[in-house]
Amino acid sequence: MKPHFGRMSGIAVVMGLMLTGGAAIASDNHIVVAPGGPHPYFAVWEQAAADAQKDFGIASVKYRVPSDWKLELQTELMESLASQGVNGLGIFPGDPVGVNSTIAELKTRGIPVVTLGGCAQDPTDAVFCFATDPYKTTYTMTKALIAAIGGKGNIVHITGQIIDTNTKLREDAVQKAIDETNGAVKLLQTVADTDLDPTVADQKISALFAASKDQIDGIIATAHNSSAVTAKQLRSLGDKRIKFIGFDDDQAVLDDIKDGFAFGTYLQNAYGQAYLGAYALDLLASKTCTMKADAPWDKSPQTVHFIDSGVLKVTADNLATAKDEMKKMATGIQSKFKATYLNCK
Amino acid sequence: MIGFRKFASQEWAGLAAIFVLGSALAAFLSPSFLTEYNIYVMLRSASVELLVAFSQMIVLAIGQMNLAVGALGGLVAVLFGAMLQLLGLPLPLAILIALLIGIVGGFINGLLTTRTGINGFIITLATGSAFTGINLGLTESRPFHGIPVEFVALGDSRWSFVPALLWPPLIVAPLLAIFLYRTKSGRKLLAVGGNMRAAELSGISANAMIIVAHAISGGLAGLAAVLAVSQLGAAQPEIGSTWLLISFAGPIIGGTALAGGYVSILGAMLAVLVIALIENMLVLMKVDPYWVRFALGGLVLVTVGVNRWRAHQMGRN
Amino acid sequence: MSTTDLAPTPRARFEIAPQLGLAIIVGLLVVVFAWKQPGFVSSFNLFGMGRSLAVDVTVGFSQMAVLATGGMNLAVGSIGVCSVMFAGYLMQDLGLPVPLAFLLAVMLGGLLGWLNGFTIVRSGVNAFIVTLASANLYSGAMLILTKAQPINVLPPIVSSIGSYEILGYASPALVVALVIGLALYVFYRYSVPGKETLMAGANARAASMSGIAVSRSIILAHVLSGVLAGVAGLMVVARVGAAMPAVGGEDWLLPSFLAPVLGGTALAGGFVSVVGTFLGAMLVTVIRSGLLFVNISNFWLQLFLGLFLLAAVLAQRYRGLFRMRLT
Repeated sequence: MKPHFGRMSGIAVVMGLMLTGGAAIASDNHIVVAPGGPHPYFAVWEQAAADAQKDFGIASVKYRVPSDWKLELQTELMESLASQGVNGLGIFPGDPVGVNSTIAELKTRGIPVVTLGGCAQDPTDAVFCFATDPYKTTYTMTKALIAAIGGKGNIVHITGQIIDTNTKLREDAVQKAIDETNGAVKLLQTVADTDLDPTVADQKISALFAASKDQIDGIIATAHNSSAVTAKQLRSLGDKRIKFIGFDDDQAVLDDIKDGFAFGTYLQNAYGQAYLGAYALDLLASKTCTMKADAPWDKSPQTVHFIDSGVLKVTADNLATAKDEMKKMATGIQSKFKATYLNCK
Repeated sequence: MIGFRKFASQEWAGLAAIFVLGSALAAFLSPSFLTEYNIYVMLRSASVELLVAFSQMIVLAIGQMNLAVGALGGLVAVLFGAMLQLLGLPLPLAILIALLIGIVGGFINGLLTTRTGINGFIITLATGSAFTGINLGLTESRPFHGIPVEFVALGDSRWSFVPALLWPPLIVAPLLAIFLYRTKSGRKLLAVGGNMRAAELSGISANAMIIVAHAISGGLAGLAAVLAVSQLGAAQPEIGSTWLLISFAGPIIGGTALAGGYVSILGAMLAVLVIALIENMLVLMKVDPYWVRFALGGLVLVTVGVNRWRAHQMGRN
Repeated sequence: MSTTDLAPTPRARFEIAPQLGLAIIVGLLVVVFAWKQPGFVSSFNLFGMGRSLAVDVTVGFSQMAVLATGGMNLAVGSIGVCSVMFAGYLMQDLGLPVPLAFLLAVMLGGLLGWLNGFTIVRSGVNAFIVTLASANLYSGAMLILTKAQPINVLPPIVSSIGSYEILGYASPALVVALVIGLALYVFYRYSVPGKETLMAGANARAASMSGIAVSRSIILAHVLSGVLAGVAGLMVVARVGAAMPAVGGEDWLLPSFLAPVLGGTALAGGFVSVVGTFLGAMLVTVIRSGLLFVNISNFWLQLFLGLFLLAAVLAQRYRGLFRMRLT
């Protein structure tokens, strides 16, 4: 049981873990991280899984993707993985409520499940959720947008699929931030269902601009594709007056920030979610560690076992250094994770 | 024969009336509706949908369905993006190859259907899954962004309220009409759709016509995909994922028979425009997101109801 | 029959033999997957597959009921989700006992189906357009009423039904699907309304000339379709132990057609195969689940799903040709 110094990849994250005494221990666990379906956001999970396997000396950490965004396909994948001898599972829930029965079944079979990137709704048997809090993040984003437009004006919220329960949380968060301005800022409109097919998003967002381009002072987009399409539209319009805050790191959004068409975007800690998820699952599955009952959980509207994976605000000022900042943030969370949340033998 | 033609013309006349009345209502309800920019935006969104509707219509003409329209479109879109970004092919060549891929995809559908005698519904459902699979396998669901700037600018350009993107469907529509009604092959194709056995007895090769219809369908789906890439400024793997319903709704609301043998090109165009009008209005009127679906369904029902009522009244007189 | 000189005799065919090929292919696939990966036939995986299969089969039956009349029901998923949320509301907010809530939810499905059928018959607009519009209306109404929020504090009995394992590997939902299949078999084969539905689907004019109330058959088919969509929805409620707005909808659209059409049900109407629908759904479930066991790189899975499906259909086809040549 010696630390795998030889296989160190040189990533600062691991250094952090080593320093705090979280020596990587070779294990024979088979861990899988799985999103709810194919989506560009999760592309870095593949690398994160490979890195975690190498860095922590885990027998295998695999990245498995359901062939489509249907809850049924994800639960089938989870059941199938359990039958194939996987003993730790990190998932982005295809549906916050719908995954719970499958998580419970895996638990009875002794397979710990953590949710990554998005939470399962309490009551749930997921050990913890390591994710971006949709409510808190949207609230922060809206506050930033309100500041960017100078504390008064009209804003528009462009968001994802209405069927996604997180959408309601995001709407509530925008409303709360706006309510706090005592009428100085008005929500002109919420445009939803813009995260699936970009052609549909394009239709809705261009119609929005046709209707009220001149009245809009700020736009907040709270889903990946919604954000990408809005960025493209603003560039087409050549509009630098409207302040736009996007979500995630689509190339169109980053280019817009660079060229002044967008004010900023919020990046999630996608890499860290899968990397730390695999690390924690390995320790939990080996039964070397258990979760602390009195761990300092963050608050989330969905679960009491929430750990904030952090977001990074990116504007023109820190566009160049964003990648390093993100890595540093991941390191910070991970270096403290074991001591903060786990009881280990 | 004249009576039949009259009836057919009334069929699209009903939709035209609905479009005009709907536009008048929209202009009355929202001052932004009749602006040059909004008309442009609405027509631009309809451009891709028009081609998607044509793509399905030509297969409906032979009494089959193409469930792979969207999947093939998505595949062409990402391959088009890959050709531009990874291979650095010149734009015209990439467009040409993209259209060829569409045609080949459709050809495969047609060939499999005729060679096996299996229902086109099943074949295209399976090939659709395969097309999507290749799309996802190649992109891992990440878009290609390396689209030439001038091609993206073309997608945003317009002459007054007419978007550049509208020209391809406007050119395709009369070509389709000429093909279906003025050429021998076109009439054969419709004959096969109307009554396959009768057509075969009169010496028409039904299989050839089925393959032709599928190949045209594939080509049109490919063209729609190329347009979508220009419109979005990126080759998104999700292109096509929601084309299925509009592809049927356009032709069928427009009067094309599900059973085959009869199409209404103008009807399909007007139906797509009416739907585009409805979708545009839902945003302009700031309809609560939770009400959008319901309103869409209600308005489609009203459209169909009015159209039907009109046809009924005409029939009575 | 006196109508023969007016139109082809409405033939209400009902066969079992052609489905043998499908059964053989399904069987072969199971053997191959099990041989490659023994975990495929572990009781846990069989249980999970059976549970998914039950939903797919019932959704397939729901579409089949309307295909029998030569129509289509694009609102299968929308009716399903309405029943789901209604059941959730009845149990959580009104505190009704589970059986009563389930019964009422299924009745809602039937009512929504009736609305479809009634509108189609009365307006003369084809089923495709009517159900396309009603799918949006039903889903839309559900969104307005629920704000897309799930209902997840249901009586514990609901989820225990969903996870109950009969003899270790069968799900109660599968038993329900089998019972429904048996009932439908009897309905189409022996009952007067069932046979009349098929005749109406085969040739509406001829059927109505021989005294069959075609309109009534169409409405009945849509009611049946709605009821079955509701049942499929409730299977999901039991499965996940909650009522979620993301159930059904457009996700059910293609699967609903896939099972019956694979199984030999005619899109043109007049012919259904209950056994075929069951086997069609089974084929898809087995391929989907089996592919998860063999090591196919993530994003190519969908491609292999399509190719396997194609191969299975071709194999079935050529088995038929082969047999024809022998006889």
